Amino acid sequence: MRKFLATMLAAAMTVSLVACGGGSNGGSSTAASDAPAAASTAAEAGTAAAEVSTAAEEVSTPEATAEPVSLTFWTYPVGGWGNSDNVDALLASFNEKYPEITVTMEYLDYTNGDDQVNTAIEGGNAPDLIMEGPERLVANWGARGLMVDLSDLFADPEAADIYANVTSACLSPDGNYYEYPLCMVAHCMAINKTIFEEADALQYLNLDNHTWTTEDFFKAVQAIYDSGHTNVAAIYCEGQGGDQGTRAIINNLYSGKFTNPEHTAYAVNSPENIQALEELYAQDGINFDPALVGGGEQDLLRNNTLAMAFCWNAASQTKIPDGMDTYGITDVGDEIIPMNFPTDDGKVELCGGIWGFGIFDNGDQAKIDAAKAFIRFMANENVKDAVLASGFFPAHSGVTDVYAGTETADVMAMFTKDFMPNLGDYYQVVPGWAQARTAWWNMLQRIGSGGDVATEVEAFETEANTAAGQ
Amino acid sequence: MTKAAPRYTTRSKVLVMRETRSAYLFLLPSLFFFLVFVIFPMVLCIYTSFFDSTMGKNVEDTFVGLANFREMFSDSVFLKALRNTFVIVIVSVPVVTAFSLWVSSAIYKMNGKVLSFFRCVFYLPVVTGSVAVTVVWKWMFNNYYGLFNYVGTSTGLIEKNINWLGDERYALACIIIILLTTSIGQPIVLYVSALGNVDASLTEAAEIDGATKFQLFWRIKWPNIMPTTLYILIITTINSFQCFALIQLLTSGGPNHATDTVMYYIYYTAFKLYRYGYANAMGVVLAIIIALLSAIQFRVARGK
Repeated sequence: MRKFLATMLAAAMTVSLVACGGGSNGGSSTAASDAPAAASTAAEAGTAAAEVSTAAEEVSTPEATAEPVSLTFWTYPVGGWGNSDNVDALLASFNEKYPEITVTMEYLDYTNGDDQVNTAIEGGNAPDLIMEGPERLVANWGARGLMVDLSDLFADPEAADIYANVTSACLSPDGNYYEYPLCMVAHCMAINKTIFEEADALQYLNLDNHTWTTEDFFKAVQAIYDSGHTNVAAIYCEGQGGDQGTRAIINNLYSGKFTNPEHTAYAVNSPENIQALEELYAQDGINFDPALVGGGEQDLLRNNTLAMAFCWNAASQTKIPDGMDTYGITDVGDEIIPMNFPTDDGKVELCGGIWGFGIFDNGDQAKIDAAKAFIRFMANENVKDAVLASGFFPAHSGVTDVYAGTETADVMAMFTKDFMPNLGDYYQVVPGWAQARTAWWNMLQRIGSGGDVATEVEAFETEANTAAGQ
Repeated sequence: MTKAAPRYTTRSKVLVMRETRSAYLFLLPSLFFFLVFVIFPMVLCIYTSFFDSTMGKNVEDTFVGLANFREMFSDSVFLKALRNTFVIVIVSVPVVTAFSLWVSSAIYKMNGKVLSFFRCVFYLPVVTGSVAVTVVWKWMFNNYYGLFNYVGTSTGLIEKNINWLGDERYALACIIIILLTTSIGQPIVLYVSALGNVDASLTEAAEIDGATKFQLFWRIKWPNIMPTTLYILIITTINSFQCFALIQLLTSGGPNHATDTVMYYIYYTAFKLYRYGYANAMGVVLAIIIALLSAIQFRVARGK
């Protein structure tokens, strides 16, 4: 019996050792072609050589003769880029052209991702490639001197059609580019068409280009309120979820700004923003709700409690409600129309997200070159598939019809035409962003509780600028 | 004749040593985890409270001495959170203790099935997932379609909908009500057990001597269930001080910090603002407050 147990224990230990040696990091996967690396391993071990050589012969491209390079690529859940099925397919395409570059994926989440990256940086194990937005790649790691300058990628002819505001978001104050963009999205608002019709408020909308003026916005809210629908809209402020919506409605109403043009300080304390807040607070039918966040506000639009939502985007529009078979409608079938935020001057500035690639400077030129090859492939050569995988919109104006032939092609085309061109200044790269977001919804709560608008806005700006080091 | 002292043979000494060694070996795994996951983080927490630590957001932690502790007492949000926490404790501890004692006194003599039914009913919120309980409560308190607003406006008790969780006047009270419902289950079970264990001969003798029901409770039962009361007071106090999940799921500390508790503010400071040193300093202060209150409760109860 003892011998049997000892044998079983030895076998279990052997299996566990083999398993440990064969794997990489927990939770990560080597999704790219392992042909070159596997070939050398197989040659050393003297096993499975035939299979590997066959695999190597299948990928015969000019680059196949280059030295093998292994890259680690960490990505936040940027739409479909958080899904390994999508990414594996893209990596397979990449390895058809670059079989000598092995890419090992690690999928991060927004809860722990920053801690994982920071721990890796401190331990000298930062990934070679990373995918996220300018607030991390440029304003955080780039500003700390951890990233590789990608100016040469922006000098490529393929980069000429990247939207100017996207390019500027990728540019650090030190003159270097620390992100090469792939995709983006613009956040808008939405209205319940049926409720607007019943209140005779559709007259205030320009449905040709989904715009309206500040004056017409308030007229529409009043008309809906007077029709008996007392909850028209909510300035939700329980937390930071969906807070781009409250920032956008307040900034757009009278062309106020959130930061200065250099993105070095907060500039909310202006007559324009104060006027917007005072009028929103005084308007019948608009509640400052400290028990609501953006997601909850969308639910209230979908269940016909609210007539409009300030937290909306293409993904919200293409979501099919439970029990329904189509998108763009509420739970009872009313049509939802996405709208730009109302403005006094006709110049809409939507908040958005921009996502792309950055390279950590790990001191290995071969890896940096391989990482740049990866970025050029994904964000230029194969950009349609890479954007399609994300579910967002291309950062290149010349890349069109990404969603042609898909089920949501009409909605995506509408967003491309009427909303994406209105993507405003990408101010999220301002320092002290995390603290400022908190201060923002706290300020809205205080105003909702009857606090003096001018005083509260000034308090917000002082707190935010202190966090920004101003 | 005096009793002879037991003689330990060499063999029995070996046995004792072997048993002792086995006992320590059995203790070792739990001791290891206790040291690594309880004691070490506590020590680290105290140590970090003297630093301006961002645990990786900045590379270097800076020693700041008592600055974090000084900042705490000029931080209006912390002071508000501390006040809210004390309100929760001051209201919930006596109410939970008194209510569970009252319910237990009413049901502990009932026959087995009825008693089990009541124990089950009151214990259900304890075993139900806190997230599920909170979601239901959030729906009931909802400003737009919540049950309380529906009942209130239908019966004319309130003129228009109240934003229960979004109004500074009501939000903390709502939190306390939910906390009470989830806190009474365990005390009721403990009290039912303690009351059932009071020596029947004592109560019968007192009844024969003409003791009133109040005297019976105050002179016989109350002293006998004092250890249970002490335990309930301490765990309810600690649970009330550590109220976090309800706040996180229902109000995020709002509106305007009206429901911020020290525990939630610690979480928020550490994991949203990345100020680990300051958060740990608050954790140290909270631990000291809880320890002091528990010590006072012990002393008072022991005196009785």
